[in-house]
Amino acid sequence: MKRITIDPITRLEGHGRIEIFLDDAGAVQNCYFQIPELRGFEKFCEGRPAEEVPQIVSRICGV
Amino acid sequence: MSKLKLASYWAAACGGCDVAILDINEKIVDVANVADIVFWPIAVDFKYSDVEAYADGYIDVCLFHGAIRNSEGEHIAKLLRQKSKVMVAFGSCAVAGGIPGLANFKRREDIFERVYIESNSTQNPERVFPQTKFAVPEGELELPEFYKDVKCLADVVDVDYFMPGCPPTADQIWAVVQVIASGALPPKGAFVGCSNKTMCDECKRVKTEKKVKKFYRPYEIMIDSEKCLLEQGLTCMGPVTRAGCGNQCTSANLPCRGCYGPVDGVIDQGAKYISALASIVDADTPEEADRIISQIVDPAGTFYRYGLPGSLLRRAK
Ligand code: SF4
Ligand code: SF4
Repeated sequence: MKRITIDPITRLEGHGRIEIFLDDAGAVQNCYFQIPELRGFEKFCEGRPAEEVPQIVSRICGV
Repeated sequence: MSKLKLASYWAAACGGCDVAILDINEKIVDVANVADIVFWPIAVDFKYSDVEAYADGYIDVCLFHGAIRNSEGEHIAKLLRQKSKVMVAFGSCAVAGGIPGLANFKRREDIFERVYIESNSTQNPERVFPQTKFAVPEGELELPEFYKDVKCLADVVDVDYFMPGCPPTADQIWAVVQVIASGALPPKGAFVGCSNKTMCDECKRVKTEKKVKKFYRPYEIMIDSEKCLLEQGLTCMGPVTRAGCGNQCTSANLPCRGCYGPVDGVIDQGAKYISALASIVDADTPEEADRIISQIVDPAGTFYRYGLPGSLLRRAK
């Protein structure tokens, strides 16, 4: 089985990787999309004053 | 002169630094005249394997954005360090941890629980969490290890220059690009694209005597757009923040949150701010001082908004 790795995915915000597995005939057997990055805004925004949150979450994506 | 070879990368970042580079607008054409881009995921399709194939030192300048959140960030930082003559920690995240560094107030287990179990859009009754290695029928998949702590770029590689800001302003980026292209590099370890004055030094607001009897949240008062925000009882971090942004927040009636970090010689911006506050609180007794200070909501998350991993504290217990 042949494996093609596309790493990183480019020209978008964030991190991504694609793993493609080909069978012996060269047909796609299976394909996995992976997101290797996590920052955890869901958690670290907890405890921050509500009026501060817009400036914090604008850093989820700056694009 | 041969063209400079330029790389730009993001680890735990938002892409705002990349967009700030693009914000130099038509000058990007001038950059293209002096530099060839050899790696820049947001804009150009090079892969990690391309970078691995470069000779050591092939890249002249690497602008590295983002904090080091996981093993991939550290691995790519080390790869780019090996391939680059000059490594710039670009933006608050790379310099001091930035907004992703707020995660150092939380524990890794609690972040995973919140994101992968509790978040409203998630159904995960089998409690599946990311694995660094995972067997699938066709082979094995890998994910980076999510570190216990967020780190700064300089925690994992040798850094030549630091360019703070969330993000650095386009004007400053252009000025730094010109300096780099001219070859007149500043001394190693220098902070570039900023000043060594404080935000207050450059702030146009009217300053009188700083004496604060009560701290407010912005919605509790009508903010006077001419007067110093701190004197109005808002926790503006101007006194302990490096100038360079052009007073962006204070010009918009928002208190500075310190994204340019402290000036040279100050190791801990938050601690410095606490001592600055201690000198302006207008109290007759220690009890009154305590009462006034306790009006500040989320002091740690505010005073270390952009720099917890780079501070003396590094993380909450
Ligand atoms: S504390 Fe803030 S508002 Fe006051 S002078 Fe300094 S930067 Fe300006
Ligand atoms: S005012 Fe403060 S927080 Fe706002 S951009 Fe400038 S340095 Fe950053």
